[in-house]
Amino acid sequence: MNARTALRLGCLAGVSALVLTACSGGGETGGGNPSEPIRVGISLPLTGDFSEPGKGVQRGYEAWAAAVNSTGGLLGRQVELRILDDQSNADRVVADYEQLIAQDQVDLVFGPFSTRLVVPSGRVAKEYGMLFVEPAGAAAQVFEQGFDNLFYAAPAVANDHYNHLAEAITAMPEGERPRTAAYAAMDDPFAQGTAYGLKEKLEAAGVQTVVDLVYPPNTTDFSGIAAQIANSQADVMVGGTQYQDAVNMIVALRQLGYQPKLAAFSTAPTNPEFPNAIGGATEGIVSPTGYTPEAPYPSNVDFVQRYTAQFGSPPTEDEANAYTTGQVVAAAVQAVGCAEQGDCQQRLVDWLRTATVDTVVGPLNWDAQGRPQSAHLIQQYVDGQIRIVLPKETAEAEFTYPKAPW
Amino acid sequence: MVTGSLFFQSLVLGILLGGLYALLAAGLTLYFGVMRVVMIAHAAFLVLAAYLAWDVHQRFGIDPLLSLIVTVPLFFLAGVGFQRLLISRLRPATVTMMSVLLTFAVALVIEGMLGFVYSGTQRRVQLSYSAASIQVFGAQVAVVKLIAFGLAALSLLALFLLLTRSRFGQALRATIQHPQAARLIGIDTDKVAGYGFGLGLATAAVGGAALSLDSTIYPSLHWHWIGPLMAIIVVGGLGSIPGAAIAAMVLGIMQSLLQLPMGTTWAQTVFYLALFATLLVRPQGFFGGRLAQRF
Repeated sequence: MNARTALRLGCLAGVSALVLTACSGGGETGGGNPSEPIRVGISLPLTGDFSEPGKGVQRGYEAWAAAVNSTGGLLGRQVELRILDDQSNADRVVADYEQLIAQDQVDLVFGPFSTRLVVPSGRVAKEYGMLFVEPAGAAAQVFEQGFDNLFYAAPAVANDHYNHLAEAITAMPEGERPRTAAYAAMDDPFAQGTAYGLKEKLEAAGVQTVVDLVYPPNTTDFSGIAAQIANSQADVMVGGTQYQDAVNMIVALRQLGYQPKLAAFSTAPTNPEFPNAIGGATEGIVSPTGYTPEAPYPSNVDFVQRYTAQFGSPPTEDEANAYTTGQVVAAAVQAVGCAEQGDCQQRLVDWLRTATVDTVVGPLNWDAQGRPQSAHLIQQYVDGQIRIVLPKETAEAEFTYPKAPW
Repeated sequence: MVTGSLFFQSLVLGILLGGLYALLAAGLTLYFGVMRVVMIAHAAFLVLAAYLAWDVHQRFGIDPLLSLIVTVPLFFLAGVGFQRLLISRLRPATVTMMSVLLTFAVALVIEGMLGFVYSGTQRRVQLSYSAASIQVFGAQVAVVKLIAFGLAALSLLALFLLLTRSRFGQALRATIQHPQAARLIGIDTDKVAGYGFGLGLATAAVGGAALSLDSTIYPSLHWHWIGPLMAIIVVGGLGSIPGAAIAAMVLGIMQSLLQLPMGTTWAQTVFYLALFATLLVRPQGFFGGRLAQRF
């Protein structure tokens, strides 16, 4: 390892701006040979609890690689993805990144899906001094680990997802404003982060919390949780959810005849399977999203076109965040002019610290801990279609409150 | 705040949940009773049956319960084959331990196969009455949960009658109570064991269809079920079907009611606390021993 690093450092010292071609003798790392592809190591939950979003992220990465390769690659080299399956398991994800970086000697790494897998894998990446851009670790704790190599490739962290909704509720006239709220969140840093971000702001605005429940990720029966929420008759129902728990909870709430004035769930409503899974009773359901295929950013128009041609349907948030990860890393690689392990990684990190990168979710820049400095959009089902309703500047439809019965 | 109506609603939900648990655990305790087999793959077969029910509904638009016409005999035959081809080859002295490994592998194969065929996408059977409910003394009872409960009650009753009233049932009980003695009086215990296993898997077919009515299903779902089900059959006394049914009901109701003061996370641990307590106080289970042999 040391010898290899020394070789690479020597190589870097020996040449000027065109480091990449000069390092062509850099051994098995492929550290700059233009005839060799740039290899990107990724571990994803392709099976297990997070397989649904995990596969979405995989499609996003593949769409990015296809787009880059079709336009001549990165630094004139083709991009090759090496994707391992961590089975949604935090131990596996660590072993996977160890293998990708130390044994397979990939040039770059991209992050996995879910905060629970991002934190352990981020630690591995930091240990090896790798740039770590990730599409799915949005919870507050990701940014409290002291990672100086991590960047979250989406508009906002979990606690800020509902900011626009909180503003809209706070701005309502006193008489119309909801008085009580029920919160149920999966015991998952991301899911809890979204719900509690809103809870904090609503409580500050005088909306009383009447139910506050946390359930483990392996919960299969939501009737008990639904019974407590239905009994409270809260005006607002906030679910800090992933996919299947949101679906199960909504059905259980409907079975108990509960009709909130506002129902907000993170993640699930933006999934294309969602309306079918809850029997089409989507009207008025609210969700934060960092992405919409309709966004007019130039690279997004191209992305949606390419993605739809490649996979047969437009991309959703998971795919877009993965694609964004690729865009962020690619921007750094192009600006710095290198993509291999060693010193180059630190230069990529340093560049991103001060950069603003144009992506499919808009221009992104980050604070010192890797938190993106933008905001999430608020979507709502209006006449069977999911539409952006907040903030007003980008709204496609009017925010409806109270929501229609489900 | 726990009001009277919330308590009653939770009690009703607990009873419905207990019924489903009883159905899902019945097969599991049967395998152990008949063959001393710890069947880790039982929940995987449940999920498989749930997927078949979903598939039938998706393809032909018919009610998932109609899939039972095909899946019950199919699972029975698969169970007989499974026992004859795999379980019976394990050495009798180590069958309990080795069956854990064998059926663990089978569970992984089923999960992998489901992922391959149906992808990891989470599926849900969408029925016109999915969210419908009726009111019983002020509590809301979801129609799908009521159907699942009815299915559980019917299956358990049928199982009970089969075991107590038919010659096959007598032979199966004799095999459970004393295999050597059963052989001496001319019972083909190998054949009976095969049918017993088939019967266990047939209950998984019914349980899977019941599960599909009100759950989002995905290939790895079975891992979330096997733990509580194992706890139920240990508490109920391994091999005792009434024991499993009573333990399932008690634990289902406790889980539902304990959620009110303690929250979901702690309420779920009731299964494991009950498991530890049983192993410490009464390792044969609360309804094991003599009762297990009487059915």
